[in-house]
Amino acid sequence: MHVHKEFDEEHLKKQMLEFVGKINQLPPVRSNVKRQYRERTVYYLDILEVDGRDVLFRVGVESGTYIRKLIHDMGEKIGVGAHMVELRRTKVANLTEDDSLSTLQNLEDAVYFYEKEGDEKPLNKVVQNIEKAVDFLPKVWISDFAVDTVCKGAPVAVPGVVKFNPFKIDEWVLIYTLKGEIVAIGKAAIDSSSLKDIEKGIVIRTDSVIMRPGVYPEYHRAQQ
Amino acid sequence: MGLPYEGIKREVISLRDEATCEDYGVYPDRRNIKQKLDLGFILLDKPSGIRSKTSAFIAKRILSPLNVSKIGYSGTLV
Repeated sequence: MHVHKEFDEEHLKKQMLEFVGKINQLPPVRSNVKRQYRERTVYYLDILEVDGRDVLFRVGVESGTYIRKLIHDMGEKIGVGAHMVELRRTKVANLTEDDSLSTLQNLEDAVYFYEKEGDEKPLNKVVQNIEKAVDFLPKVWISDFAVDTVCKGAPVAVPGVVKFNPFKIDEWVLIYTLKGEIVAIGKAAIDSSSLKDIEKGIVIRTDSVIMRPGVYPEYHRAQQ
Repeated sequence: MGLPYEGIKREVISLRDEATCEDYGVYPDRRNIKQKLDLGFILLDKPSGIRSKTSAFIAKRILSPLNVSKIGYSGTLV
């Protein structure tokens, strides 16, 4: 953040910390969403460095928060104006910069090692299993016989569920095989607390399917 | 002090004991590189000054000799 005029450091810090909690933001003029005030949560804000009129800080926010706007609004609150100079994402959900963050150069090198020297280790480090990208959500693990129907878009029903992480109704839930492969992502049709008391019915409504049909055998009622 | 999903621990509740058949599917940590390229993601440290879409396009071009034909991206920073 670059502040436009001289400021009192204590005053600046105090005003910036006022933004932790619920804030209202108007989307920028050039925006793909309707320009109306939207509520977002600022979870934390740590001021790391103040160097002249430049302020370096770390902020944890809800998805859809405009940081450029946040800084502009902070500048007004401080009373001297400010704008954003640089922005870097250091973490998102369960992923941080330590989780094999790769550059395009790393990727190019990894492909080279694999193609020219048959060494797949670097490429294995750059390319990660898709499950890791969504690992923070609750899961249901389903029986082998239920996998193929879910691949074709069917919902997960009670008999298909083998084990689960607790989830609430309408929450996003990952649908996994017993081997730990992602099949699909869906929305909970019920609360997981009621699962042990019922024997049939829909548990998860499938939304996006990740696994291709045909990986697991087709389900035939006669086999069951 | 953290984000909502950070460091979340989830309990696993079993309804029954059931094994999976080894004849089909593959444990994610045993996927070979071809399978991983089909079901994988890259945590990319994008250079500043180019668009996310451009980065995804360059990544696709780099991976095209390995028959990767589709790449998307997620996460917008504004």
